[in-house]
Amino acid sequence: MKRSILRSIGIKVLVFVVSLLILSAAVFCVARLAPGDPLVSYYGDRVEKMSPQERAWAEDKLGLNDPLTVQYVRWLERAVQGDFGISYQYKMPVTEVIAQRMGNTLLLGGVGLLLIFGGALLLGSFCAWQEDRWPDRLLCRAGTLLSCIPEFWLSLLLILVFAMGIRWLPSSGAYSIGGEGNVGDRLVHLILPLTVVVLSHLWYYAYLVRNRLLEEVRADYVLLARVKGLPRRAVLFRHCLRSAMPTYLSILAISIPHVLGGTYIVETVFSYPGLGTLSYESARYQDYNLLMVLCLLSGAVVMLCNLAAQAINERIDPRIRGERSGMEQEVRTP
Amino acid sequence: MEPVLEVRHLTVQFHTPSGTVQAVRDVSFSLHKGEVLAIVGESGCGKSVLCRSILKLLPDTARLPSGTILVNGVDITGYGEREMTKLRGKLFSMVFQDPMTALDPTMTIGAQIAEAVRVHQPRMGRDALRQRVLELMTLVGIERPAERMGLYPHNFSGGMRQRSVLAMALAGDPAILFADEPTTALDVTIQAQILDLLRQIQRQLGTATVFVTHDLGAVARVADRVAVMYAGKIVEIGTAEEVFYDPRHPYTWGLLQSLPVLSRGRETLPTIPGMPPDLLHPPKGDTFACRNPYALAIDYEEEPPLFPITETHFAATWLLDPRTPQVTPPVGGGLHG
Amino acid sequence: MAEEILLDVRHLTHVFPLGRHGSVKAVDDLSFQIRRGEIFGLVGESGSGKSTVARCVMSLYRPTAGEIWFQGVNLCDRAACRAHRTMLQRERQLIFQDSTSSLNQRLKVWDIIAEPMRIHGIRPPRGTYRAEAEFQMHYVGLDAGYLDKYPPELSGGQRQRVAIARALSMEPELLVADEPIASLDVSIQAQIVNLFRHLQREHGFSILFIAHDLAMVEFLCDRVGVLYHGRMVESAPTSALFQRPLHPYTQALLSAIPIPDPRLERSRTLQTFSPDLASLDGVLVKEEPDHFVLREGGRP
Repeated sequence: MKRSILRSIGIKVLVFVVSLLILSAAVFCVARLAPGDPLVSYYGDRVEKMSPQERAWAEDKLGLNDPLTVQYVRWLERAVQGDFGISYQYKMPVTEVIAQRMGNTLLLGGVGLLLIFGGALLLGSFCAWQEDRWPDRLLCRAGTLLSCIPEFWLSLLLILVFAMGIRWLPSSGAYSIGGEGNVGDRLVHLILPLTVVVLSHLWYYAYLVRNRLLEEVRADYVLLARVKGLPRRAVLFRHCLRSAMPTYLSILAISIPHVLGGTYIVETVFSYPGLGTLSYESARYQDYNLLMVLCLLSGAVVMLCNLAAQAINERIDPRIRGERSGMEQEVRTP
Repeated sequence: MEPVLEVRHLTVQFHTPSGTVQAVRDVSFSLHKGEVLAIVGESGCGKSVLCRSILKLLPDTARLPSGTILVNGVDITGYGEREMTKLRGKLFSMVFQDPMTALDPTMTIGAQIAEAVRVHQPRMGRDALRQRVLELMTLVGIERPAERMGLYPHNFSGGMRQRSVLAMALAGDPAILFADEPTTALDVTIQAQILDLLRQIQRQLGTATVFVTHDLGAVARVADRVAVMYAGKIVEIGTAEEVFYDPRHPYTWGLLQSLPVLSRGRETLPTIPGMPPDLLHPPKGDTFACRNPYALAIDYEEEPPLFPITETHFAATWLLDPRTPQVTPPVGGGLHG
Repeated sequence: MAEEILLDVRHLTHVFPLGRHGSVKAVDDLSFQIRRGEIFGLVGESGSGKSTVARCVMSLYRPTAGEIWFQGVNLCDRAACRAHRTMLQRERQLIFQDSTSSLNQRLKVWDIIAEPMRIHGIRPPRGTYRAEAEFQMHYVGLDAGYLDKYPPELSGGQRQRVAIARALSMEPELLVADEPIASLDVSIQAQIVNLFRHLQREHGFSILFIAHDLAMVEFLCDRVGVLYHGRMVESAPTSALFQRPLHPYTQALLSAIPIPDPRLERSRTLQTFSPDLASLDGVLVKEEPDHFVLREGGRP
């Protein structure tokens, strides 16, 4: 029993590592195949005035004129030791650059995710409860409309109204200059990006919850629960929500990267100093080392979320959990 | 004696985009304490809808344009969801066809039965609750209940699941139990066991039972009275003996004849030709006329009323009108009659 | 002619692996034969392995052990199967229990019936595929008005007729019917059983008729095999089986057929069967010509 668990964990870890390796190789090659000059991000405008000798020296210094495989192996060797190189643009270790920005993204993404998760559950259950009455219909219409609006457009719209128009909220950044430690200031800066992140994803999940619940409501066991004398609301929340939860949680876990991808766009539009803007910059300016780590980080998050989804499913649903014992325990009528 | 349940001229309609479906048309019957009434009919004849309309478990598209439902003499026709919730489980309860889907797969059997008990006795203590669950499981013939209450539905076989569903249905000591095709999805050798169990419980607790099925054969074992439904109407109703030994409606004859046991040694099984009518546009006159080899001209014009044969036996066919010629029924009198 | 063996199942065993946690033996050392022009009934309750047998015979599952011979071809031999592919696909046809899911809901009835002919590139003998479909439909008792309907518009009995028409369009030698009447109303069951009997008389093909109870089997089948937990416990000509059931499980199945006579039925005690009554570790013993029953240790 214990050994089989260890073995399955071992297999999962192995798959995880191998996938990361493949991802790193792919990103490494693709980044270098893309047109553009990495020297620009390191030296800025000076590159244009460089002589060929200077260029060659600079490329040699950054290790860019070796064959691709040599470069990759060298990167891999260092990466294993925890050295991911320096960012060409920021001239400091990649890990430090990311560490500075990580907090901002986690704040935006994490709070956004929590709001989406809770909000979707509430909204979805409410719609299911009010099925086909006017609140449900209204929310369905509005939600569908809202989820069709692209994030960047919604962001621009909100900036136009709340920042340019009535000037209530700041249009960009994570804090005012000099206000880094001020919690209130941070929150104010968070409102607009957060609104976009939540609004653009909320309905998708709320609709999912609603439909899963309604699917469950049609099942026979709901009828039985009502025959037992449980009121409709109790049936909905005690039985249906419970049955719908595994699907919801696993889909949510799978789509965390999707939501994060959304934050990347939102960050860029709001010039919010998070990993999203950083990824955008690093890809744009051929900041290879930074790009590599950011891609691997995103990849790791995606895979971890998928593993989490699977684990959640196995935990909650007794049918999956008890697959083996179920067969042994099959009880026949005496 | 006053009946536990009395249904008078009940009509149920479904409003669909393509029109109004007449699922149940002008049905009247009564049910007495400790009695088993079987409602027999083909799929789509409205027998399940009839049960669910009494429990008010129909979808929102259903309407009850006419009829009254009296329970212990109280008219519950106009009751809303809140009042019905109080009655369900306590006054009437239901068992469904497919025990595979009727149980919540994520809860243990014990917890689901306990839930049903707690609905009616919210203040019951932990030990008393456990005792009651064990008692119910024993009542429905689940052996070693203490071990099995911790199992999930998927650990149980079909028969055991149906017993669990029955335990839940009986948790509130209902006066009336509706059993909607409780044996159809089960293995044949288990079917008979469940039927016997229903009968035994009905004797033990005095629960009046409405047993809905499409199989006339299965009814002989449990039913005190039998109602045959066709296209939303009761076409024949009487005691089991009357319906089996002296059937009067051609549809009942057809149902009996198509049972293979009665056709041993014959070349082809007698069948009822054709199909049940479309209840969206029911034909004029008797809905059974076009499948009825004994149909009279009037059958295509006017629906027959329920003609009384005895005090308990009624059938809706013009053949019983004194003006029509006598027809010898092709079946009846039992297996050796 | 009547003694020619069409399908010969020898020591068929099928094991389903259950992930890493072991396996389930669905069919265990099963042998039976179907003669040309015979209707063989295979009866068993849920979990007895009857559907697995049907799927092995149709080559949908590859048996774990044993042989299945059909028209001189061993279905467990990949090379032989490949060599006779067209013949095997045409001459074995399957009808499912659930006609709702076994017919494509997006195809019209005549498309469904004509599809096997199209797949096999058969030139329709009556001109067009539509005319051919109409002919087949008429044959199974559906009129031409249903040609352009979709399966959801039909009743269960009509859908099952369409499934039969589709199977018959290939003029098969063997029809495998996996609980074709189980989900139908009793009166419709009788119609379909009559249809099977009538078609078999006309065409002379063989039917492997799978059912979960004995009620209709008596009326349709020439011989019956009773399955219990993947093992054949009794096999006999229908009349012999109904008159002298020897295995306690067969007796229990027979006793479960309700008698439509209230007084008789109420006074009757049902025979029940529990696995302790008879061990499954026996061998089939010949009791009388063609009548075999599972006995412990091979002793009667």
